[in-house]
Amino acid sequence: MSEPVLSLHNIHKRYGDFTAVRDVSFTIPQGTIYGLLGPNGAGKTTTIRMILEIIKPSSGSISILGRPSALDVRDRIGYLPEEKGLYKKMKVWSTIAYFATLKGIDKKSAKRKAFELLEKYGLRDFAQSKIESLSKGMAQKVQVLSAVAHEPELVILDEPFSGLDPVNQGVLEELIRDMSANGQTIIFSTHVMQHAERLCDHILLISKGEKIFDGTLAQAKATIPRRVLLNTSDNLEPLKALAGVTDISNADPLIPDSRWIVQISEQANPQDLLKKCFDVGINLNRFEFSEPSLHDVFVQLVGEDAREQQLR
Amino acid sequence: MRMIYLIAQLEYMENIKTKGFWIGILIFPLMFGLMYFIQVTLSQATPTRYYLLVDKSGEYEEAVQSAITLEHQRKILQSFVTYLMENRKETDLNLLNSTTAANSAADQFIDDVDMNEVAALDQWLTNGGLDFALIMASPYLKKDTPPFIPPTPQFIAAELPQIDLTADDAGIIRQLRPYLRGNATVEINGNSETLFALILIPENANQDIMRPGDLADPSLTRAGIQYWAKNLTDLSLPNAIGRSINRAIQDVEVNRLGIDSQSVRNAQRTRMPLSKLDPSANAGEEEVSLADTFRQFAPMGFVYLMFISLMQNVQYLLSNTIEEKSNRIIEVLLASVTSDELMMGKLLGIGLSGLTTIAAWLLSFYLFLTFYQSSGTENISQILDVILSSDLIPWFVFYYFAGYALYSGIFLAIGSLCDTLKEAQALMMPMMMIQIIPMAMMFFVVQDPNNSLVRALSWFPLFTPYLMMNRAAADPPMIDLIGTTVVLLASIVFILWLSGKVFKLGVLRTGQPPKLLELFKLLRAKN
Repeated sequence: MSEPVLSLHNIHKRYGDFTAVRDVSFTIPQGTIYGLLGPNGAGKTTTIRMILEIIKPSSGSISILGRPSALDVRDRIGYLPEEKGLYKKMKVWSTIAYFATLKGIDKKSAKRKAFELLEKYGLRDFAQSKIESLSKGMAQKVQVLSAVAHEPELVILDEPFSGLDPVNQGVLEELIRDMSANGQTIIFSTHVMQHAERLCDHILLISKGEKIFDGTLAQAKATIPRRVLLNTSDNLEPLKALAGVTDISNADPLIPDSRWIVQISEQANPQDLLKKCFDVGINLNRFEFSEPSLHDVFVQLVGEDAREQQLR
Repeated sequence: MRMIYLIAQLEYMENIKTKGFWIGILIFPLMFGLMYFIQVTLSQATPTRYYLLVDKSGEYEEAVQSAITLEHQRKILQSFVTYLMENRKETDLNLLNSTTAANSAADQFIDDVDMNEVAALDQWLTNGGLDFALIMASPYLKKDTPPFIPPTPQFIAAELPQIDLTADDAGIIRQLRPYLRGNATVEINGNSETLFALILIPENANQDIMRPGDLADPSLTRAGIQYWAKNLTDLSLPNAIGRSINRAIQDVEVNRLGIDSQSVRNAQRTRMPLSKLDPSANAGEEEVSLADTFRQFAPMGFVYLMFISLMQNVQYLLSNTIEEKSNRIIEVLLASVTSDELMMGKLLGIGLSGLTTIAAWLLSFYLFLTFYQSSGTENISQILDVILSSDLIPWFVFYYFAGYALYSGIFLAIGSLCDTLKEAQALMMPMMMIQIIPMAMMFFVVQDPNNSLVRALSWFPLFTPYLMMNRAAADPPMIDLIGTTVVLLASIVFILWLSGKVFKLGVLRTGQPPKLLELFKLLRAKN
């Protein structure tokens, strides 16, 4: 495996007494799609800004594309910030071309590339429109395109999906997959777990400025127990004796004694549970076993923190 | 450098695409043109004022009437001279410009008015006024000259309404009050007009005459003549009346003292010319011409131009930074360029668009002078020639750039700390106030450019561009010149360095602008 595109070592960021990011370390190998997840105010944007050297970490070190500072390699990075904005009076194609020229592409190639991207992602008809005449979602697509028009090796997208309708979210996912197939490394942050689940090879979960989880999607899902959902009005007491069943609890406290969550161990087979139900004569309205979603992982790992929504 | 160039280019192009830029470019010529035409129109169209004169002493009515007639004749004379100058044949103009001075009756006439208006007015009246002048001037006028339209009389006496004149002063005023308040109108040639003023000369007004040597007696109030008018700002009528009555009183006084009044008049008209000389000029050129006087006053124009243009630019810079900050373009840009490059690019781009505005202004001014020629604009183009040939232009260019660098640095830093224009305005206020000071001093500085207070204030970098430009025509001492320039340049470097740091800190901040102490701490903390 080639050397990592990005690695952070013991990064801290303090604003006066407040610590926004505490001792975060991670490494991103080349060609991966890396999801940066966390509740609001977790320090995602701060971390991204430090990666880009827009702000400097209070301590710790960063290695990006083999260099200690993003400034040395800024032409090889593409960045879409969380809060989107473009020059309102500028035309769509020249916006994309302008940001590409800032990344060292010559004007002619930048223009050609702009039209190429607009064509490919369904914005050809708007090439000559002014940004202010676009809808929010379209403007956001334009901004994503301007962030990647120079074909950067490392693409950092902060909340790229927010504000897009489902169709355009699909277009954006397509763009991300295209870039990944092209060998580009993508880091993106999001609140929407479905996107992360569909796209990411790897996720990093941070909360309150600290790293909570770093690993593959499968590893993430393994962090929470496997669960079977049961709907029944019968007594579930006999199931407790079954090997592999670790806990039984009410799924919905508002309707007691009808919906249940049965936690089973890693090795347990849900089939055994179903068989046992038949054996003891439990009348099932529903029996559902599903792999935990990333959403469950997220709620499980940062649920408490997220409720306290610390701003900044 | 490439980044700075790209950003400057973008800022420039984006700026000139805005409506505000074009309004800025058009507003100056429009205002100038409007002001010029309003002034010309106003001076030609002074409204006619109707007044009532109630002279209970019976001594001054004639004097007042004749003074007002004389004032009107003076106006006709002045406007006739302008008419003659505008419509004279070209050949005569050449003669006038040559050193052999006036050798035609028309030139003689214009010269006389120029030299001594009072004497020329006497001459004018003795010769028969306008009728004679028209005959005299006719050979010198161009063929298709329009007929001369004399100005309308400015003050006309109204007929006294039917009132009881035997009443005391208060009684007369009471009767006339409705007219003064505009509730009743007076008859003028069958038309009803609003009365502008009432002059009431009390029966025993002569008791109030003050002579030198009179003891100031606080118990005795000398009311003298009463001038009643709602409009107290137009002073031309009370002044003319005051003058004429005083002249009449003086004539009586002269007679009383047994002096020949004509001799007094002659004595008053005796005069000695005064040549203004400039010791710094070369031998033979010491005499101060009108052009030299213009040159002394020209810096005021430059200071004003600098102020207007700087204000426009830095405000734009500020709102542009806030806009970019609030819609988060800044963050994308900062992933591509350093904050220093961004700042310099902005300063350059917007500075250039400011220069474009000034260039457009000067061009429109020049075009105005080229295509609209009259005796008024002829003066202006002479002034312009003087200014262009003087050494003031390089001064202006230097101080303009210096002022721009200094103020834009500060305003950019302010802009970077604020999220909204409203927040910025509070921080801008002191900066605006600071610039008001040299502006308010402008006229005073031109009159006394090397005054020690002015010299001291010139060392304050925020004042230096304005004050030194203001003093530029008066050869400021070398120590001031070099010293203030060094301080100014050092401050520019310092301000730009500091602004760069604040800018970097500020652009990614959100929320309330930091307090001064917080800002200091943040800067010390080095992000």
